[in-house]
Amino acid sequence: MTKFTKGMDRRTTLKGMGLAAAGALLPAGLGQTASAQAAGRVVVGTWGGDYARLLAKNVEDPFLKPKGFEVVQDQASDAPRRAKMVAERRLPRGTTDIQGLSAAQMFEMNAAGVAEPIDYSKLKNAANIIPIAKYPYGVGHIISGKVIVYNPKLVTPAPTSYKDCFDPKYGNKLGFIDIQYQFVMLAAGLAAAGDMTALEKGKELLLAAKRGGARIYPTNEAFAQALKTEEISIGMMWKARAVQWQNAGIAVEAAAPSEGTMAYVSGFMIPKNAPNKAGAYAYMDAMLEKGAQENFAVDMGFGPTVTNAVVAPDLQKRIGFTEDENKKMRDLDYDFLAKNDAAMKEWWDKVFKA
Amino acid sequence: MATLTQRPVGEPGNLTAAGLLVPASIFVAIGLLVPIAILFRYSLNAFEPGKLMVDALTIANYVKFFNDPFYLQVLWRTVRVAVACTIFCLLFGFPLAYVLARTQSRFKNLLVMAIVLPLFVGNAVRAAGWMVAFGSKGFINASLMGLGITSAPLEIMYTELAVVIGIIAVNLPFMVLTLQSVIEGIDRNVEEAAFSLGAPPMTMAMRVLFPLALPGILAGVILTFILAMNAYATPVLLGGPKFQTMGPLVFSTFAQQNNWPFGGAVSFILMTATLILTVASSLLIRRRYA
Repeated sequence: MTKFTKGMDRRTTLKGMGLAAAGALLPAGLGQTASAQAAGRVVVGTWGGDYARLLAKNVEDPFLKPKGFEVVQDQASDAPRRAKMVAERRLPRGTTDIQGLSAAQMFEMNAAGVAEPIDYSKLKNAANIIPIAKYPYGVGHIISGKVIVYNPKLVTPAPTSYKDCFDPKYGNKLGFIDIQYQFVMLAAGLAAAGDMTALEKGKELLLAAKRGGARIYPTNEAFAQALKTEEISIGMMWKARAVQWQNAGIAVEAAAPSEGTMAYVSGFMIPKNAPNKAGAYAYMDAMLEKGAQENFAVDMGFGPTVTNAVVAPDLQKRIGFTEDENKKMRDLDYDFLAKNDAAMKEWWDKVFKA
Repeated sequence: MATLTQRPVGEPGNLTAAGLLVPASIFVAIGLLVPIAILFRYSLNAFEPGKLMVDALTIANYVKFFNDPFYLQVLWRTVRVAVACTIFCLLFGFPLAYVLARTQSRFKNLLVMAIVLPLFVGNAVRAAGWMVAFGSKGFINASLMGLGITSAPLEIMYTELAVVIGIIAVNLPFMVLTLQSVIEGIDRNVEEAAFSLGAPPMTMAMRVLFPLALPGILAGVILTFILAMNAYATPVLLGGPKFQTMGPLVFSTFAQQNNWPFGGAVSFILMTATLILTVASSLLIRRRYA
């Protein structure tokens, strides 16, 4: 029989391995505590996908890396990133330096007390920012508007107002996007009473459309697919998306509504406890650079938020708005939205989608 | 001089087994029990928009769920779909598992692979495939209309039927594989004995096969029921926004509304409902056949 010496036997060895493995588990999460960030390291919170890729291509690689900045993207959808900022509120040092959010979300973060007031004197491109993209708590990076999208082959005459997007005469050819409930409800208010905050009157329009057979799609992509298969022929969406869909071969036209186009601004804010605020300002300045803005217009179909960006006339015609449409463009009432969002979402889920 | 260790396996007096259990125990404790405890604590907090959650000790989130017909309807719909999918998986899966277990074919391994193959593809990808099939211009509608059976496309996408079909397709391999391994362990002679004593096939199945396969049936039912109750990708992609079930509700409450306290409560209600119904169904099946 094989002899094993005490202290060297198989069982003891296995036990030791087990305990060693257990020991290895313990410090696994503890070793990840935020290490001191080297100078020039900027941690940017952003959505993933195309937007993150284009930030790297048009902002980080050409403007920040040559200056010696190390850029780290913290990619996630906006809700977890907002939750993270609120959760980190009491920490002296947060984990991100700058966060990409929609204007409404930046407002919400400011209301929650986590947004650093923007010192525009620190931005060399500040003078070029269009007024609608200039907030006390953040800076707009890209802009588009909520327009009517329709299949010109199936919808004649062409729609001209948000009201057309709720017309029950379109029956089940009318589509809404679930994740766009805020803009849909605000547009309904505009269509019904000329006032985005007229939610109750807007709800009547929505319910009439629903009774007519209107469809609801979970995502922008599902809505695009339905447009492509002609399951629906009319709805509303960002003009930038309509351009992307046209590029993808979908028969879709965009029309600015007569009530005034609701603006969609997406930009960046700085958390109050950002470890590298100078880096965050450098990032903002880079995203406002003429070249970065022009490339975003080409790559993503969103309009620039700086006045010195030059967009080719044919592209401008597709992604931008006429002077008259720009004059009528409406920024959202973010305070109203922040206060009523929970109730709006509840009605949307329980009544409209039920 | 060193002594011999001749202690039989499993004899106490040495910490070997405990030592080996430590990593898994710590992993379960840190990775499962602690988050569950934290989630439960969150579910007792209050929610204020913008502030994420406010420290409190209240059952308001649970009261809100059970006092609102909307949420009860979501729970009921989830249970209904899960029960339907489990029953269909058992009905479709048992004959398939029986054939697989009893076949002497040299292609048996290939047949088992064919059952396992769908598991190589993620749920979302499979749901995407169903979307192509179910769409208004999808494979099914195009075929039906092409053959002149229907004149207008059938509404299959974003219906309960689409979700049930999608979940059955996901869960069926789990049921078949679980049942097959148990049926293989049942001696074919006991079935032959029942037949030789004059039992017709159905009687043999009810009196001999099902009771002996009970552990497999229970395991398969529990597995598929839990998977169906907690399904996320299939209800979202095939059910659409109007078809709300508990899994997607948990996600949207946490990730879209940032309402962690209510999300925590919904998670616990889903977990508890799954546990109660699983135990209840196990007891019921045991009482029926044991």
